Order: sequence, then C-alpha cells, then structure tokens
Amino acid sequence: MSEATTEAGTKKESASGAIQIQLRGVSKSYERGGERLKILSELDLDVREGSFEALMGPSGSGKSTLLNLIAGLDRPTSGTITISGKRIDSMSEGELARWRANTIGFVFQSYNLLPVLTAVENVELPLLLTKVPSNERRKRAETALRVVGLEDRKTHYPRQLSGGQEQRVAIARAIVNDPAIIVADEPTGDLDRQSADEILALLEKLNTELGKSIVMVTHDPSAAERASVIRRLNKGALE
Amino acid sequence: MTLTGLAVRNVLRNTFRTVLTVVGVAVATVAFIFLRTLISSWADASDFAVKDRLMTRHKITFVMTLPRHYIDEVRNIPHIKVATFANWFGAKDPKHDKEFFANMGVDADTFFKVYDDMVVPPADLDTWLHDPQGAIVGDVLAAKMGWKIGDKVSLESGIYPSRPQWDFKVDGIYTTKGRSVDRSSFYFHWKFLNDSQPAARKDQIGWIISRVDNPNDTANIAVAVDKVFDEKDTQTLSQDERAFTASFLAGLSAVLTAVNIISVVILVIMMLVLGNTIAMGVRERTNEYGVLKALGFSGQQIALFVFGEAATIGFAGGVLGVLIAYPFVEIGIGRWLEENMGQFFPYFRVPPMVTVTALGLATLLGLLAAAIPAWVASRLRVVDALRRVA
Repeated sequence: MSEATTEAGTKKESASGAIQIQLRGVSKSYERGGERLKILSELDLDVREGSFEALMGPSGSGKSTLLNLIAGLDRPTSGTITISGKRIDSMSEGELARWRANTIGFVFQSYNLLPVLTAVENVELPLLLTKVPSNERRKRAETALRVVGLEDRKTHYPRQLSGGQEQRVAIARAIVNDPAIIVADEPTGDLDRQSADEILALLEKLNTELGKSIVMVTHDPSAAERASVIRRLNKGALE
Repeated sequence: MTLTGLAVRNVLRNTFRTVLTVVGVAVATVAFIFLRTLISSWADASDFAVKDRLMTRHKITFVMTLPRHYIDEVRNIPHIKVATFANWFGAKDPKHDKEFFANMGVDADTFFKVYDDMVVPPADLDTWLHDPQGAIVGDVLAAKMGWKIGDKVSLESGIYPSRPQWDFKVDGIYTTKGRSVDRSSFYFHWKFLNDSQPAARKDQIGWIISRVDNPNDTANIAVAVDKVFDEKDTQTLSQDERAFTASFLAGLSAVLTAVNIISVVILVIMMLVLGNTIAMGVRERTNEYGVLKALGFSGQQIALFVFGEAATIGFAGGVLGVLIAYPFVEIGIGRWLEENMGQFFPYFRVPPMVTVTALGLATLLGLLAAAIPAWVASRLRVVDALRRVA
C-alpha cells in the first residue's frame, strides 16, 4: 500500500476539505500478447475536495491509467474507487456515462475538440446530455468561454484557433456543466511555454476561485509546481 | 446546436466523399427505379387488360390462322356481345426499315366496337370506314414517324408478299383510355388484305376478339367458345385478354426474372457503397467517439449518430435518384420504349409506389449498412478510442 505524499516546498497549502476521491487496493492489469501486464498495484489514494493534485512519473508508470480510473473511463481489475461517496467501480456502463457527464470535466493533451463545431458549440456539447433548454445552453457555453477569456472567438472553428486557444476552449467545455472534478491529462504537453503558463494559470483559477478539484497528469515539473499536491508514481505504485 | 445538427455536420465533414456516395446511391436508385418500372409496366400490360374481352386463336399457336367463318359462329355463341378479328400483317415502312411497329388488318365495322378503349375522332373513323385503303394509327407511332392525317404510307410485308408494296392513307389517329393498349399500332381494312390474296390464302383470320356480357364469367364463356370448335379440323384456344397478353409476353418472362434479380443486386451494391463510406467515417472518428463517450454520451447515442449519418446519406441519394429518374425514365427511355416496344410496354411511367419503395429502400439500406459500424462505434472502450489518432 502506498501513501499519498505532499511534496516539500509546494507553494500552496493542501486542501483541507472532505475526502472526495478515495481509492482502496486498486490494481489494474492488461492482457497483451498472452502476457499479463500489471500497470497499477494495490494502490490507495485519498484526494480532498478542492485539491489541485499533480501526478508525475516516468512513462509507463501508470499515471494516465490512474487518471482514467478516477475519471470513470476505465475499471480497476480489483479494488474500490469511491468518488463523493459513490462507488464507481461497480456502476454499469450507462450509469458510469451519466455519472461522468455530471461529475467530471475532461481536459486532454491534444484538446480533442470536434472540428465540425465552433468554439461555443464545442463548449455546449456536454450540455446536450442535459435537459437545459437550447438558449440557456448557449448562454452557459458563452459564460464558460468568458471564464477562459475566449468569448470573442466563440464562432471560430478549432482550425482557426491556436493550440493554447484550443486548450482554453477544451477547459471551457470541461467546466460548462459545473463538474466537481476536473481531470487533465498532460494539458500543456502540446503547448509552448507561454501558452502552457496561461493554461496552468487558468486551472489554478478554477481551483482557487471556483473550488474545482483538479487531478492533473504531467511530465512538466514547472506545471506540477502549480499543484497543491504532487504525487509520484513509479512502476504502478505511489512513491 | 442539437444532436441532429451534430450528425448533419458530420455528414458534411468530408464533402467530396459524401457527394460521391450520394451520387453512387442516386445512380443505383435510378437503375432500380428503371428496372422496377420495366417490370411494373410489363405487369400493367396484363393487369390493365379489359376483363370482359376474350381472345380466340388457333389452338396450336397464334401464328396459325383460323377460317373466316369462325367469326360468324363466335358471334352466335350465347353471352358474346360483339366480336371482331384481326390478322398480323408483319410489315415495315421501307423508309424507316429499322422501326418496328405492330400492323394489322382488322374488321373495320367491328374492331373499334370491341376496342372501345381506343379513341378515334368520329369524323376520322367515318372517313376510314369508307376508305378501303385507309389506316388508323396510334398517336405515339404517328409522332415517331412524322405521319399526319392524309399522308400516304407504303408498307412491305414479308408475310403477305402478294403485293410488293401496300399503299395506305392515314385517315385517323387514335389515342387510348386504357393502359393495356399499345399506342404504336397501325390498323387497316382486313378486306383490303383479303381481296389481294390468292385463293389458297383467302378468308383466313389471325384471331378473334370478343366482348362478353359478364366479365366474371369470361373463363366459362371461353370454354364454351372452344367447345364449339372442338370437333372441327381447326380447334381454338380462348383466353381472357389478361391471359392472352401474358402468354404473348411469356417469352419475356425469363428476361424479366433476370431484371428482377439485377434490381436486387443493385440494392446490394448500394448497401456496400454506403457501408464502405460509413465504416471509413467511423474509423476516422474513433477518437472523437472516445471524447463523446468520455463526456458522457452513451454507446446507444454514438450508434444513433452513425445510423443518423447513414440514413441521411441514403435518403439524400434516394431523393437525388428520384429527381434524376423521373425525367430519365418518363421523358427519355420510357418514351422510347413506348414508341419502339409498345406491345410489351404500352404505358411506361414510374409508378408512385416504386418511387416510395426506392426512397424507403435507400434509407433502410443506409441503416442496414451502418449496423456493423454503429455496433463497433457503440462498443468502443473510451481509453482505447482516445488513444487512436485520427
């Protein structure tokens, strides 16, 4: 069992809210070429509400797998995952999809915006799963774009935006349905330094001003420094 | 923005491929509509046959003739209201020797009484009745050959070579009220034909056409007619017009079976074209489906996107196909068939049901073609889909 660790020298205080994300004895392994690969091993993790946590570690250490499990994109081979008091590891596919839509905001390394939709339509996308009326959906999407500073680009298509702007649209999409948790997988991995700083500042703002819990996978130490907690994974275990 | 709007945007994403697929479906739809119209038109020829019209011919084949006096005997059979007769003339216009049209010597006094679904202006009919070398021609044939009332027409017949050339004058042009009547035929006086025959070939008629007083009893009356000639040297076979037309067209049935099969093959090709496009689209958008699933879209919703896209393309192709098929079939090839093969396809028009079927099938086949890609897309694991680079 590995204990979560807060690195010394982190600039901010760790969040002091209730435990929002709880993993107990979580293992994950895959079959590949007839061989069983163990990615995560008997992992325990507690993340408090309002926390901004960075997951670091070498390639293949299991960072993204852990993030996928927390986000309900994948299921553990064994162990339990409890988010805001709900066991998500035993949910059906449909329940998990609905839970993700209401609870998790996603930020991907390669933005993953739909090229056929404008910025505001991309942001509106998660709201299509709700019963929010269309004019209200549009208002909320525009508000989210305002939060990320891209209201003036709302009618632009992804191909008309820079990488940094695309990622800001992706962040707007992640917060538009007001999720409790934002998971970010290498959100600055494809960006130059300046754009990366802007994105990290935005994530910090979401954490401090809007109280969103953020779990971010990163290779970039300077990105990790923005988090309140830095956790390191190595060979499927938290150090 | 709506889910439907998103599906439509996806359809238009690769415009070139979508346009090619829609055109492919449209071409298949045109071919399908044409072939089904062909089959339907052939069926019409017998379906629209007049039920109280009885055809009596030589028992062996309609190529063999009957004695002239048979008509008098038929007229005396109970339940026969009126009877007439005709002889196949088998002639061509030497000026248009590649144009085939039906031409017959008919009993002038009774022919248009039996065929009251043919309409000849009374004045023209009267002229013809008094003109031994007069002819009444169908409106489609007249338009094709450029004949007008009063024109002289000379024909050459291989069946009746007693004259090197048979000269006629166009006295009238008929139209029709029914779909079973060929509008490209040429009728003249049987008497003119008979008078020109050597003694051995005189007083022979091709077949007898009668109207009976009870359309529901045509079969029994047909039996009664044949019974009259049972003990004679030349026996007859009587059938209602529908059966007669069907037997006349029997030679075509193998061709039409082949046409039927081809129309089904075309549908399969249409489905493969659609399936290929949809499968390519799904493969290219695997990553996006992963994103949608991550955002909370269910597998069923992803499948609906795929089905919606396929149905839209199929329907669009079907609509374009129908828009092309109407002028192509009705103005183009349909008119040509009516003019040149009027005996087989007297009324070549796209039936509304064929249009509805074509549209429905194009959409339905789109949905069927999308079944496997939609299933694959709905079953994608999010983490695998997100790893896939478009």
